Amino acid sequence: MDDHPVMVFRDVVKVYPLPAGDVTALDRVSFQVERGEFISVMGPSGSGKSTLLNLMGCLDTPTSGDIYISGTRTGDMSDSELTNLRRDRIGFIFQYFNLFPLLNTLENVTFPMMLKSKKAVDPEKGRAVLRSVQLDDELFTHTPMELSGGQQQRVAIARALINDPDILLCDEPTGNLDSKTGAGIMELMTELNRNGTTIIMVTHDPNNARYSQRIVKIADGRIIK
Amino acid sequence: MIFWEFAKRNIRLHLLRSTLAMLGIVIGVVAIASMGILGNSMVLAVSDSLRTVGDSVIVTPHVGGGSARGFGGGMGGGPSALTITEQNFQQIQRASVPNVAIPILQTSDRMKLGVGKDDIVATIYGMNPDDVPNLLKLKEGGYSRANSGCLVGSKFADDNKIKVGSRIAIGADGDKGTLRVTGIIEERGMAFDVSTDSAVVATRDWFDNAYSRSDYDKVVVKVKNLDDLATVKTAIENQMNKRDKIVDVMDTRKTMETIFAAFGQITTFVSAIGGISMIVAGVSILNIMMMSVTERIKEIGIMRSIGAQRKEVMSMFLYEAVILGVVGSLIGGVLSLIGGYAISSMMLQTTKYLFVPSSLVSIVYGVGFGIVVCLICGIYPAWRAANLNPIDALRHE
Repeated sequence: MDDHPVMVFRDVVKVYPLPAGDVTALDRVSFQVERGEFISVMGPSGSGKSTLLNLMGCLDTPTSGDIYISGTRTGDMSDSELTNLRRDRIGFIFQYFNLFPLLNTLENVTFPMMLKSKKAVDPEKGRAVLRSVQLDDELFTHTPMELSGGQQQRVAIARALINDPDILLCDEPTGNLDSKTGAGIMELMTELNRNGTTIIMVTHDPNNARYSQRIVKIADGRIIK
Repeated sequence: MIFWEFAKRNIRLHLLRSTLAMLGIVIGVVAIASMGILGNSMVLAVSDSLRTVGDSVIVTPHVGGGSARGFGGGMGGGPSALTITEQNFQQIQRASVPNVAIPILQTSDRMKLGVGKDDIVATIYGMNPDDVPNLLKLKEGGYSRANSGCLVGSKFADDNKIKVGSRIAIGADGDKGTLRVTGIIEERGMAFDVSTDSAVVATRDWFDNAYSRSDYDKVVVKVKNLDDLATVKTAIENQMNKRDKIVDVMDTRKTMETIFAAFGQITTFVSAIGGISMIVAGVSILNIMMMSVTERIKEIGIMRSIGAQRKEVMSMFLYEAVILGVVGSLIGGVLSLIGGYAISSMMLQTTKYLFVPSSLVSIVYGVGFGIVVCLICGIYPAWRAANLNPIDALRHE
């Protein structure tokens, strides 16, 4: 097991140059995520949550400061290396599930495996992960359009877990679900965390934040708690 | 390969749109290949009818204005008012040594082919009996040395039911005399030297007597070594056209090459017109690929965020363009064969030139061009998709 913290932000600044003037989305943000933590990131609209999530997911690069993922500094990495880092060490869970409508459930889940292995993969691992997120076998060949919202989010979680990532990044994972289904998803994520998965979740919902061990509050681009 | 699967499924999902784009490629391939087949078939048809072996130098009086010093006036209603004198012929013969120079007289006249039959008009050649075997091959009968004998072309014989032994009365009311057919000449097609298929070949002496002509209409030099064609041509020109241009000298091989080159250019030109339709089809491929990229921006964003490399996203769109190009081009190739068959049947009344390598290669060119155009037109949309910012793509609705 890697001894490094899963994620380290050190004096991270993100400035968006706009015609009307530069906008500082994150201002000297520093924090650390230890392996096995379940963290909620909360804050009002425009506070910098999405920017923080994009930087944590290596979808964007900071204007200054350093970001480390499992001890690896991301600042010097090429686009190709950052893409591989996302594929191998980070799992994404989106508010709108973002499954591929052209692929069935099992293919959606095994897609990141195929990206990693560059060839056909044994679907058995995909089936096992789908069962671990409590999806019935009969739904494995269904397309996303044939699944309910809760089922789609379970498939999305299974896809995020398939390459055994160091960290799960969740963007309002229950934002598009009814409260009962959302609670089921949160229970599932809590169980995943109990089994050792590190989770960082951006949410507006205080009920969801209660499932996490630590809440990071952000306002005007700064961490305030 | 998952990206290949994505490409296939996306085409199936938008089947009508993809089919219409492929239809453009099909039309483009058919246009290029059919025009190529037609052009090549025409070249082959012409080369079949121009049976002249490219082994002759043809000398004719210069008809391009200026003086015609040394030539006698035309007599006997010949096609040209100018002729080549015996003296000129001797000079040509000397310049052509060691090759054989064959003097030829030519005219057209009325003739009657039997009692009760209508008069017809046909070409009559006058040649030395010794020269005839050098120039003409018989399919029936024998060569004639007697002035009362003649040879006829195979088409002339077929059209007029002439056989060896038949008699032909030459001139109005047979005033030039009657000739007995001793042989029927093999079909030669259109030729630069003598076109005998619908003609009568008599002896030179008979021709002299009948038309009071001793000057020649042309001289055919049969060159033994083909490499000497240009040398013989130059030698004759130098000999005859020292001061004034008095003869035109034609190298048959060079002339045939010029004709075929001209046909080749025509084929290229009509194929290029077909190529324009292919470019239009390519624009349509570019258009649907751009639509495909625009519709799938979010999907591209998801792929990139979960670890798809730029080149993998690019490959997905290139696969799509290749599938459209290969399927459309292959369908176009099959239809080209059918189209080529139909066009050849209608325009050339034969399909024998269709299944020859030089015609079939037009289909290969058409199919290849179709695939290449699709691939080229897929590159920009694929590049654009691969270079989308993942964050912007994820936000796209």
